[in-house]
Amino acid sequence: MKFKINRDHFSSGLQQVLNVVGSRATMPILSNVLIEAKDGFISLTTTNLDLGIRCRVVAEIQESGALTLPVRKLFSIVKDLPSLEVELESHTNHQAKITSGTSIFRIMGIGADEFPPLPDFADEHSFVLPQGDLLRMLKSVSYAQSTDETRFIMNGVYFNFEEGKLTLAATDGRRLAVTSREMEVSPDNLGSLILPAKTVGEVERLLGQGDQVRIAFNERQVAFEISVGGEGKEGGLSESIYLVSKIVEGNYPNYRQVIPKETDLHVKLNRESFANCVRRAALVTSEKSNSIKVRVHDNLMEVTGSSSEVGEANVSLAIDYSGPDVTVAFNPGFLIDPLKALSRDEIIFEFKDELSPGVIRTQDSFLCVVMPLRLN
Amino acid sequence: MGKVRKLPEGVANQIAAGEVVERPVAVVKELVENALDAGARQIEVEFRKGGKTYMRVTDDGCGMDRQDAQTALERHATSKIEKAQDLQRILSFGFRGEALPSIASVSRFRLRTRLRGTSLGTEIVVEGTGAPRIADAGMPEGTVIEVAQLFHTVPVRRKFMKTDRTEAAHIIQLCRVIAVAHPEVAFTLIEDGREVFRSPVCAHLEDRVGEVFGRALVREIMPIEAVEEASAWKVHGLVSQPGRGRTTRAEMLCYVNRRPVDSRLLNYALIESFHTYLARGRYPAAFLFLKIPPAEVDVNIHPAKREIRFRDEGRVRRFVMEALLEHLRAASRGALPQAKPVDPVVPPKPLASSPVQGQPVRRAPGAPTERPAPRTVPSTAGSAVPDCRDGVAGANQPPLPRSAPVAKPEPSPSPRQGSMAAPRAAESGEGIRAWRFIGFLEDRFVLWESPEGLVILHYAAAWERIRFEEILRTFQSADAVRQGLLFPLLLEVDPLSADTLTQVIPIVARMGFDLEPFGRDVFRLSAVPDWFTPEQAESFIREGIRLLREQGRNWKEDAVSVEMAKLAARRAVHGLPAKDPQSARALLARLFACRDPLVDPRGRATFFEARMSDIERRLGL
Repeated sequence: MKFKINRDHFSSGLQQVLNVVGSRATMPILSNVLIEAKDGFISLTTTNLDLGIRCRVVAEIQESGALTLPVRKLFSIVKDLPSLEVELESHTNHQAKITSGTSIFRIMGIGADEFPPLPDFADEHSFVLPQGDLLRMLKSVSYAQSTDETRFIMNGVYFNFEEGKLTLAATDGRRLAVTSREMEVSPDNLGSLILPAKTVGEVERLLGQGDQVRIAFNERQVAFEISVGGEGKEGGLSESIYLVSKIVEGNYPNYRQVIPKETDLHVKLNRESFANCVRRAALVTSEKSNSIKVRVHDNLMEVTGSSSEVGEANVSLAIDYSGPDVTVAFNPGFLIDPLKALSRDEIIFEFKDELSPGVIRTQDSFLCVVMPLRLN
Repeated sequence: MGKVRKLPEGVANQIAAGEVVERPVAVVKELVENALDAGARQIEVEFRKGGKTYMRVTDDGCGMDRQDAQTALERHATSKIEKAQDLQRILSFGFRGEALPSIASVSRFRLRTRLRGTSLGTEIVVEGTGAPRIADAGMPEGTVIEVAQLFHTVPVRRKFMKTDRTEAAHIIQLCRVIAVAHPEVAFTLIEDGREVFRSPVCAHLEDRVGEVFGRALVREIMPIEAVEEASAWKVHGLVSQPGRGRTTRAEMLCYVNRRPVDSRLLNYALIESFHTYLARGRYPAAFLFLKIPPAEVDVNIHPAKREIRFRDEGRVRRFVMEALLEHLRAASRGALPQAKPVDPVVPPKPLASSPVQGQPVRRAPGAPTERPAPRTVPSTAGSAVPDCRDGVAGANQPPLPRSAPVAKPEPSPSPRQGSMAAPRAAESGEGIRAWRFIGFLEDRFVLWESPEGLVILHYAAAWERIRFEEILRTFQSADAVRQGLLFPLLLEVDPLSADTLTQVIPIVARMGFDLEPFGRDVFRLSAVPDWFTPEQAESFIREGIRLLREQGRNWKEDAVSVEMAKLAARRAVHGLPAKDPQSARALLARLFACRDPLVDPRGRATFFEARMSDIERRLGL
């Protein structure tokens, strides 16, 4: 194998696949990136057996072939090469020689045949949607995933392709974020999956480089084909980034039943003003007493926080409200997370009484249910 | 007729000797106590071959005239009490008048005594059951008693004596124990012509303990004292500093009215008081003197008077434990290195910035007020370093967010905390530890340079202690904040556990778990404490049930909270702070804000200090 490549293209390609490789891989081969040179491209693949990523970078191939090299070391070398022009040539014993300007590196690799191939699978379900939409949807729910591994079923984002729409949901048992988007889903293409949290992070990172993303999945795996714009584009990435991941197996909790019916008690709020109120009130809370109270009455919303260690805060906001006087306590983080993740300026905040959940809704079918804190 | 007869005096004495004089050490004890009762200022004890062949006790006490000396060898002859009522207020060591005749009847016995102010002494020699031989003797004022060939008249008992070494060890231990109780008397102990220890009159108990038990021990103990003026109860002495335990109970000595006693009650009070101040399996060193009116204690229940009975055991226990705990608490803060206090955390309301030092010592609300407060003796623990700027409180460091040692208003201390926790006297004016961060060892331990040497902190154990106390506080405060759950958890348990769970529902409810029966043997959990991860709720409750069932039926709410808090703290390992210097310092500050920073709730030590002297010794310096 022998090819010439632009240094920055090479390093940006490596950057796409780098994250998958953990610092403590169980097998040495999993610390390596598979480099395959063919037909004017090199393709770079990494995997941790649960999650694999492949991307293609434009290169001038002089001799096709394949080799694996330690990806982190390779990345730090490529980043630091003196000249834009880089030549990589493989030798016997799986050695690679990297030449750039006056620098020459010889690096030990492992044979390409030892690299576990990314699974190919028969797509049972396949959908295409704009990357921007998926990114927005993911970001508006992913913060609500559970991070505790004991209930692994919640360690991910639930994708549900149901009739006429795609719904994404995430919950950690205390709050629930749900968003949906209209979409053509044929009856035989219905299906759902739970995308593991680590994959969610990777997908969020990779999205937004091109127009469309194709999602294909079956009962065990999911693949994302993320297009990266036309050829010769800046960065040198070509066609699409391919990501394959295991999915979380199991039944996602029935989140629909915990979404309260829309109530009369609601206020329209400017997202940022609401977020600011909560954030300011939360400044005086402490690790020990991490709660704020939201009180609405007579065209006024008062957000108060207090802790014995610090003191008190009372932040108020003029609102349009004439209903009964209601106070509900929340974990401030659970309100701030969705408000930060959203992009619309106007949100609707719904509530009922101090024991019932609060709901943040937007016009574009987003909602976040937050269970209240009960203070004695 | 004729079958029942009165025993000759000699035989009766030998029988009594069976009770009083079990072995050589008993002889030494009786004789030394007599010497003390005689007001001696100097006592010399000599013995050979474990006391089997020879024992001598010489004192410079008041001595006896010839008449008294003769009478003293008769049974039930004593100068110490006159009538039965005197037994109620015994302050002398002996009182039964059995010792001398008993000893004389089973040995070759020589008594020499010269009454203070007279010019001639008396010598009485008794050999077995024979008549005493009396002669004049020239000697200094005081009394010398020599006992040779113990049990030569009752060979049976000889067989029951242990090896010389064992008997010698008993005698040495006894002399140490007595010597500690009487620093005002000079003691010399000689074994087989070799001096075991010689202690001149000591002004302080510390000096005597140092002479007798070694200087190293003195560095690890601290004085305690508590007085109840009204009833003339007093406890004082020296006990281990927090965290400096011993591996055996050998140095746990209790005295009641200066009489060394084996009291389970006092031993337990000691061990229990130290429970959270020493790692599991370690015992405090203690020289504990309880002084109470003689009427409060019955010493006349054991022939050798080692065991005693208190009239009001509960009160003794409370009195001793309160005193110990108060000093331990003060010491566990004060004894450790101090830095300059960081900026005081000002209580939220009122916003007055009163200097911390000016604050009066706060008393916990639940502490008894009807009695005068036990007096506190400031700890003399050596490691207090008043101004060390190297530590966390360094001048250019921002005050730590949780500089908790400064007095903090606790909104509503529960009654339990109140009664347990005496005033946090040393709290004010204390700063954060003056330990300099060195680094992490194996990601598990943190190394610190302390003014005394090297400290190795067990990160996880320290964290467990911190979380345990925080969690317990939320459990015990009535204002648990509960986080409602979106998906209530259904818990199915076996019928026995269901029974247990039903009983503890109100208790766990106050902790913040909303649990309700939901059909047969099924429970529904709809809220958890706000700091709790709901994912862990199920296993936590199941384990909690198991724990409670192991403990038996009658759960007190306090005990349940403590157990559950222990359990929760064990699980808090997830939240272990990051392993960087900043977090380590913050953790240290939080640890020392704890009530019992020295051990974790499981009884593991949170840290230990390798003193510079130890380090030097190991390196052969």
